[in-house]
Amino acid sequence: MKNFTYAAPRNVADAVRLAGQPDARFIAGGTDLLNLMKDGAQSHGAIIDINGLALGDIVQRNDVIRIGALARMSDVAAHPAVRRSLPVVSEALLNSASPQVRNMAAVGGNVLQRTRCGYFRDSGTTCNKKAPGSGCPALEGENRGHAILGGSDHCIAVHPSDLAVALLAVDAVVLTDRRRIPFADFHVVPGTTPDQETVLGHGELITGFEIPVTPLAARSRYLKLRDRATFEFAVVAVAAALNMRGDTVRDVRLTFGGVATKPWRSPEAEEALRGKPLTTTTITEAGRALVRGAVTRDHNAFKVDLVQRALDGLLRDLGGVR
Amino acid sequence: MTVGRPVERVDGRAKVTGGARYTADRTLPGMLYSYLVMGTIARGRVTAVDTAAARAVPGVVEVFTHENAPRLTSDQHFMPLQGTQIHYNGQIVAITVATTLEQAQEAAELVRVTYAPETPKAVIADALTEVYLPANQEVIVGDPTAGLAAAEVTVTQNYSSPPHHHNPIEPHATVAQWDGDRLTVHETSQGVVNAQRTFATTFGIPQTNVRVLAPYLGGGFGGKSPVWPHSLLNAAIARQLGRPAKMVLARSQMYSIVSHRAEFRQQVTLGAKRDGTLTALVHHSTQQLSRTSENMYSHSISSRMLYACPNIHTRQQGVRLDVPTSRFMRSPQMASHFGLETALDELSYQLGIDPVELRRRNYTDVNPTTGERFSSRFLLDCYKLGADAFGWSRRNPKPGSTRDGHEFVGWGMATEAHDHNANPSSAMVRMAADGTVLSQTATQDIGTGTYTVFTQVVADALGVPLNQVKVELADTNFPPAALSAGSGTIASVTGAVNAAALAVRTAVVQLAVSNPASPLHGVSVERIITQHGYLFSPDRSRRESYRAVMARHGAPVQNTSSMTNARGYSTGAVFVEVRVDPRYGRVRVTRGVGAYDAGRVMNHKTARSQVIGGFTWGIGNALMEHTVLDRRTARVVNPNLSTYLLAVNADVPEIDAIFVNKPDPVSTALGARGFGETPITGVPAAIGNAIFHATGRRIRDLPFTQDKLLY
Repeated sequence: MKNFTYAAPRNVADAVRLAGQPDARFIAGGTDLLNLMKDGAQSHGAIIDINGLALGDIVQRNDVIRIGALARMSDVAAHPAVRRSLPVVSEALLNSASPQVRNMAAVGGNVLQRTRCGYFRDSGTTCNKKAPGSGCPALEGENRGHAILGGSDHCIAVHPSDLAVALLAVDAVVLTDRRRIPFADFHVVPGTTPDQETVLGHGELITGFEIPVTPLAARSRYLKLRDRATFEFAVVAVAAALNMRGDTVRDVRLTFGGVATKPWRSPEAEEALRGKPLTTTTITEAGRALVRGAVTRDHNAFKVDLVQRALDGLLRDLGGVR
Repeated sequence: MTVGRPVERVDGRAKVTGGARYTADRTLPGMLYSYLVMGTIARGRVTAVDTAAARAVPGVVEVFTHENAPRLTSDQHFMPLQGTQIHYNGQIVAITVATTLEQAQEAAELVRVTYAPETPKAVIADALTEVYLPANQEVIVGDPTAGLAAAEVTVTQNYSSPPHHHNPIEPHATVAQWDGDRLTVHETSQGVVNAQRTFATTFGIPQTNVRVLAPYLGGGFGGKSPVWPHSLLNAAIARQLGRPAKMVLARSQMYSIVSHRAEFRQQVTLGAKRDGTLTALVHHSTQQLSRTSENMYSHSISSRMLYACPNIHTRQQGVRLDVPTSRFMRSPQMASHFGLETALDELSYQLGIDPVELRRRNYTDVNPTTGERFSSRFLLDCYKLGADAFGWSRRNPKPGSTRDGHEFVGWGMATEAHDHNANPSSAMVRMAADGTVLSQTATQDIGTGTYTVFTQVVADALGVPLNQVKVELADTNFPPAALSAGSGTIASVTGAVNAAALAVRTAVVQLAVSNPASPLHGVSVERIITQHGYLFSPDRSRRESYRAVMARHGAPVQNTSSMTNARGYSTGAVFVEVRVDPRYGRVRVTRGVGAYDAGRVMNHKTARSQVIGGFTWGIGNALMEHTVLDRRTARVVNPNLSTYLLAVNADVPEIDAIFVNKPDPVSTALGARGFGETPITGVPAAIGNAIFHATGRRIRDLPFTQDKLLY
């Protein structure tokens, strides 16, 4: 780890100005950034500590819940308004990391956390995310954990955030110091520039999230499958939000983690259900629609099957389908 | 009497308050920090090392490469930095030394190494034609071919398990300080005496010139048994630069230079009569070796020692790959044990005999390989105690017969078994003039409870309260004692500690009864009772405290004793319940019961902790743990605890530990046997057997991740 400067601004304007330096990075909870820097996967000349900014509030005003970027994962998960109106968000958070990490980590940083791809995290290995053009060993290597959706010939690393999958399912908006970004537009697929993971500009600061309170979001759930019972990232995760009119699906959001290079929404799977009854047939069709464009590698083909099973199980639970 | 009781750890408070000082906590005046640069190819040569940028970092004192590193040799290990050859990925290719850790780390990132790489072989599958049988790795008992011919039922199956890394919570650390030709090393060591010998040999100085200390260890699991080359290099650097030097390994560095459990493949063939009696046991295995060593560390002991079978054939093959040399890792016999205990379960279904009953029918009091009788073996009691506590008799043997909601419920079991070391050991016990007692011995507490058990042993031998006794360990200035490996600490050292304490007792009693000033004057030594810090006459009408006797004597009473113990074999039986969600292939272990014959139990709390730790390790081994090697580069892809998965609390159910608790008559350790490695060995097979019972699916390749259970 190389030496870096440290600054702790007291307001957003100062923070953004300081972050304009080349090689600068914000730090909030630090639960990911410090690991990346210690492992040599990332290095920065200037660290801007934003923990002194007043961005930690969680408030509901009319039909919008606003979550400050510095709200800690554990506080958001336990907040009554979140639990009542956005259960998928609370569940995704409680399925993330460990209690210690959740007490430390801020939600703004959570959606920016870097992939757990072992090649990315190893300073002794090439990686297009670290150094574009250097090559991706995961394509032909140990890719059991890698993406089947949204990948490219440059990168198939999975986005690790559970919270981001949930926020995508509830139509969240990302607030920054300079604009509002619909969550669906926030993360980008790797394409030929896997080092670009979001549309944030250099030094742009997430200040919070706005989430509409809707009947759809109120009936939402998160299912996470992983290699141990807790404190582990998803092999496959599904967030579903469901609004039924009688036996018919009025509206639905289906988003996925563990299978894609960014938090993944499947309009095709949603379309297979919208306006139809929730049955074994329609659920199966939604799963098929989800994986229609899947690209598998040597070790991750099982995810095609597993993600459909996860979707099936979650929709049955949420929709009360036997 | 405190031995046997669940006495709390005497070092617990120090450990949970941060008062215990571990090796990496040592800081010496003028100390330098060494930091390793690890290679990124597995095979080939270093062609150039550019250290200019590293040397330019402020505070950097020296950068060592193969060109200027101290010349060292090792009779145990391949020594890096002595030439350009690369034998495995993550080999040490340079060491930076600076006045702060951060400077050394920054410099390490700036060292540029150029290689002439060659294509490596990383896994057994890539070198199947190169499998060979090293010398002395085949044992044949009876006539296995005839035994198979005589069988009415046979099972032949292949099993495999991945490499594993030890991952103690405490990283390896070493702090070396020279004073002329005298060397002091604070070393994360499971064996300070062995380490002393290694340092002395390496530097060509008398063993008495080397002092090694390791008062606290945050786990070792075999990975801290040898002195690794990085510690020798750090000591050589300290000597060359004339200042103390400290080196602490980063977690990722622990995946290439401090050994691992080898990748392992095995084929087990069992022949049996219809009644379940084994007629032949043929166990062929292949384990990964390195380019620089053909030593093997995963032995087929269970197949040779556990069951009554007249015809046994074990054949332990190896294959050299471009990977680091493996080594003993906690319960090294578990790799082969998994195959044997799974094959027995498969046989039980072929025969239609209950798995416990099948094992009972092949029980033996006699070592089937040597024909010698075991000094004590209560394995049949373990089957009974475990099965009863678990409720095994209620088991419907039919796979897939029990369902609870979405989940299938399965019950499985396995025998557990591991042998243990016993090494000659000595210990000192001294009662001071104020009646307090100090015991010193150069064995270690690697986290298992040695401090606590020896405190109990000394207190009981003397008849003093626990809080009157202090135990000090892991300093080569103390009497030499056993390596803490192979489950050997308690078994090896207890006898010496006890003998020294008893000798001190006799000496103090002698002081009392021979002195007219003592109320006990004239009582014969043999008839004195000692208890609660007092010496009593036989009818307890007269007494005198140790403190009073010692105050009158005015000088300490001390004894150093030595003792040799016998090696032993501790067995048990483990029973598990799993729940398998067939929708997702998800396995949960929901119940665990183990019953064990460990000889006499010295402390029920620390012994139970060994069971909990072992069972937890076994769950991780069964369901998740594995080192991922990139097959093209032979480089570890998951060298950290966020991707190398170990079981966490949520994976572990309540575990019921039962002990037969009968002393082994040949044990000089108050009847105790070594035990720590036993309660892991059967767990992976028991879980696999339970998964089969739950679902009818047999998985023979560890770990049992959910992708293998989708159906």
